[in-house]
Amino acid sequence: MAFNEVKHDMRKTRVLIASRPKLLSEVIHYMIQRQPDMKVVSEVLDPLELFLLIKTLRADVVIVTPLPGNGDPHICIKLLAAYPLLIIVTQSAKGEAAYLYQTNVPKKRINEPSAQSILDAIRQAMQSIAS
Amino acid sequence: MNKSIRVFIADDNRLLREGIASMLAQEEDIIVIGSAMSGSEAIKQIKKLRPDVALIDIGMPDKDGLDVTQALYKDLPSVKVIILGMPDLTDEIMVCIESGAAGYVLKEASFEYLVESIRSVKRGESFCSPRMAASLFSRIAELAGERIPESSVKLTPREVEVINKIADGMSNKEISGQLYIEEQTVKNHIHNILDKLQLHNRLEAVQYARERKLLKQKPE
Repeated sequence: MAFNEVKHDMRKTRVLIASRPKLLSEVIHYMIQRQPDMKVVSEVLDPLELFLLIKTLRADVVIVTPLPGNGDPHICIKLLAAYPLLIIVTQSAKGEAAYLYQTNVPKKRINEPSAQSILDAIRQAMQSIAS
Repeated sequence: MNKSIRVFIADDNRLLREGIASMLAQEEDIIVIGSAMSGSEAIKQIKKLRPDVALIDIGMPDKDGLDVTQALYKDLPSVKVIILGMPDLTDEIMVCIESGAAGYVLKEASFEYLVESIRSVKRGESFCSPRMAASLFSRIAELAGERIPESSVKLTPREVEVINKIADGMSNKEISGQLYIEEQTVKNHIHNILDKLQLHNRLEAVQYARERKLLKQKPE
């Protein structure tokens, strides 16, 4: 039992949350912390702090609310350029769309963004990196 | 043992809707009895389930949060509505209150704050943040300032005279002849009277003067 716990802990995906509004951020935090294979390493709002914390906290995944607009959010392009192994999930504040970004992989739309569909997308992406 | 607070959630953001429901399920005194992703579905379900408190997103498809609040306030006033709003807009909050909302919580607020708001409105209290309350007080003061207190409205003797002539059924031309002034001056007087009293037409001005006994008594 103890072994399993340690094993899980060693493999936990480290998630950094940069979502807005606060209520959504807390919901995402709650969703992640209930997963045995994931862990919230921090919550952050300032983009510069986000850049620095990814390295400091060794985040595998960033869940971010981009500014409204068309096309790929600027922040995703910048983050992937700096951290090629990073997985980014963007979730709009209104909740109508979520996308997963990885280096050299076309962005993936997460249909009907829900806790389950976002968690599944993160796990799939983590597996693709591991393999 | 206290009865649980029965809560309904309406939000088109599935992650938020389901997430809030999961988190509220952890509270001992709260039970989530249903949810909806659109305004019309929310009205239908709430009428059926009759929750104590309904959390309603302000910007849902088909019927928005205000439509839902108005419908519930009319048909089910016992259901306390808390609006989940995005921007901190005083005018929007005012409209929500006028529509019958018992509380207004920004999505920028914490979950803990949301729970507190649910408990508050269940107790029959209204709920908004101190910052929102301050904005509302300012707005109310502004609106009060826009209405001129009646005691401060002063008609000049000439304007009272003009109203009396209107009450006698005279046209502007006839009034100008009687008072030995230009017709345009009569028009100016009438314009000023209506403006001062915030009235719309001559009839309302006469009515106003009659109610305040400003009209001269006619000899029998």
